[in-house]
Amino acid sequence: MDQEISLDGLRKMAERAGLKLPEDELQGLLPGVNRSKKQATELRGLVAAGNEPASTFDLAGSARQ
Amino acid sequence: MEPNEICYLTIAETAAALRRKDISPIEIIDALINRIKVIDGKLHSFITLTADLARQQARQAEQELRSGTDRGPLHGIPIALKDLYMTKGIRTTCHSAVLENWVPDIDATTYTKLREAGAILLGKLGMHEFAFGGPSIDAPFPAVRNPWNADHVPGGSSSGSGAALAARLCYGALGSDTGGSIRTPSSHCSVVGIKPTYGRVSRYGVVPLSWSLDHAGPMARSVEDCAMLLQAIAGFDAKDPASANVPVPNFHAALKAGIKGRRVGVPRAGWFDENLGIDRQTETVFNQSLDMLKSLGAIISDIDGKPFSIARKANQTILVCEAYAYHEKTFQETPMKFGTSVRRRMLEGAFLSAADYLTAQRARAVLNEQITANFAKVDVFAVPGAARPPEAFAAMDPNEQNLRPNFTNPFNLTGLPAISVPSGFTDGNLPAGLQIVAPPFQESTGLQMAYAYEQATEWHTRRPTL
Repeated sequence: MDQEISLDGLRKMAERAGLKLPEDELQGLLPGVNRSKKQATELRGLVAAGNEPASTFDLAGSARQ
Repeated sequence: MEPNEICYLTIAETAAALRRKDISPIEIIDALINRIKVIDGKLHSFITLTADLARQQARQAEQELRSGTDRGPLHGIPIALKDLYMTKGIRTTCHSAVLENWVPDIDATTYTKLREAGAILLGKLGMHEFAFGGPSIDAPFPAVRNPWNADHVPGGSSSGSGAALAARLCYGALGSDTGGSIRTPSSHCSVVGIKPTYGRVSRYGVVPLSWSLDHAGPMARSVEDCAMLLQAIAGFDAKDPASANVPVPNFHAALKAGIKGRRVGVPRAGWFDENLGIDRQTETVFNQSLDMLKSLGAIISDIDGKPFSIARKANQTILVCEAYAYHEKTFQETPMKFGTSVRRRMLEGAFLSAADYLTAQRARAVLNEQITANFAKVDVFAVPGAARPPEAFAAMDPNEQNLRPNFTNPFNLTGLPAISVPSGFTDGNLPAGLQIVAPPFQESTGLQMAYAYEQATEWHTRRPTL
């Protein structure tokens, strides 16, 4: 992510997510959301094409249930 | 024995006293309930006290022990559960208005195992709402206070577990740990807590925060007590999809092996000085604990702290995404039922993308490899239990925790077993803890080192003035 999410952008994202949040709540959320986004973006520099996610489907685990 | 003296005993001491018939399970319950009534009004560590059930279970334990049926060291021992462990027929609130009157119809596997071992349920303990955010100052139940100084936080999210143990209101407790929620209150309240290896202890019947980071584990007032509690709750459970089908060793038998020649890695460079860095007094206490380990024969060396520092980002990304996914429906229908602290943090997960989440899980694999590679050179890692002393409620700054190194969440990301043991005090008589981190499924190694340290110091014998 190259640019921060704006308050208006956050409002639209919240609506798409089915969230009905008061305006002051959106304002309170914004710094944390941008911090989270920045943090998640920084992790992209750590992974290479061959790296799979740590969570994988465990068929053996399903079979033992 | 005086009632308060009964409350001061450890599990191991109480188990011996019960078998000598110096005390009875009923006497123990009466002593603890009286103490809770006198003291807990200013600590708020209990949300629900199950006094009648405890007396009924104590009578049963007394009859069984008298007739020669001995279920082991936890038989007749009162314990309490963080209020996210489901208890059939007993309210389980998660310290939240969302579940204020919820009564589950199942028991958590861990509670079932403790009951089978003869433990007695004293009650359900306060926590950070849904095990996340900070102290729950706008929840339907008051925030838990630190017994060492009630103006300060007890650490969370297993705040009631830490406070009740430090205040001698129960002998053992269960906490849960997704980013440090067993080890931080253990450190802040000067008690012992172990986050076992991911998969070692069943999460079935524990209200989730983040499926891939949640760990259930015990807290107590000594390493030996923690080992006994862990013994009772560890083991494969087909009801938990993440449960590991691996043998459970005898944790207690391994405690006294000594630590001479054990190699301890300290990931200081690139981590301890992150942003504001570790609190100076906390670092001094930590360095003194390393000196003690050295004097006991351990070999201390530095390892690269950078991957540990980066781990926070992956942990937090995964946590908020999974937590929001679990609570999504409630957020869409009644978002303001959550307290401010947990609502603001969890909602961050609504605005991250699937790619963000999966990148964090990919980074997790990379970081896990980098961090665990150190076990080729050292047997355990040693880090502080927390980066600073417990803060005052009046000075709480939710942003500051992101500006200090997080010494706990890399071990949720990697699933490594980590134990926090009392390691001294900073100004104002505020506790600090030493954290020992071992390779996967080697809880015994961590317990062994923590036990050696504990027995060579007197921090665990100190009691707060209440």
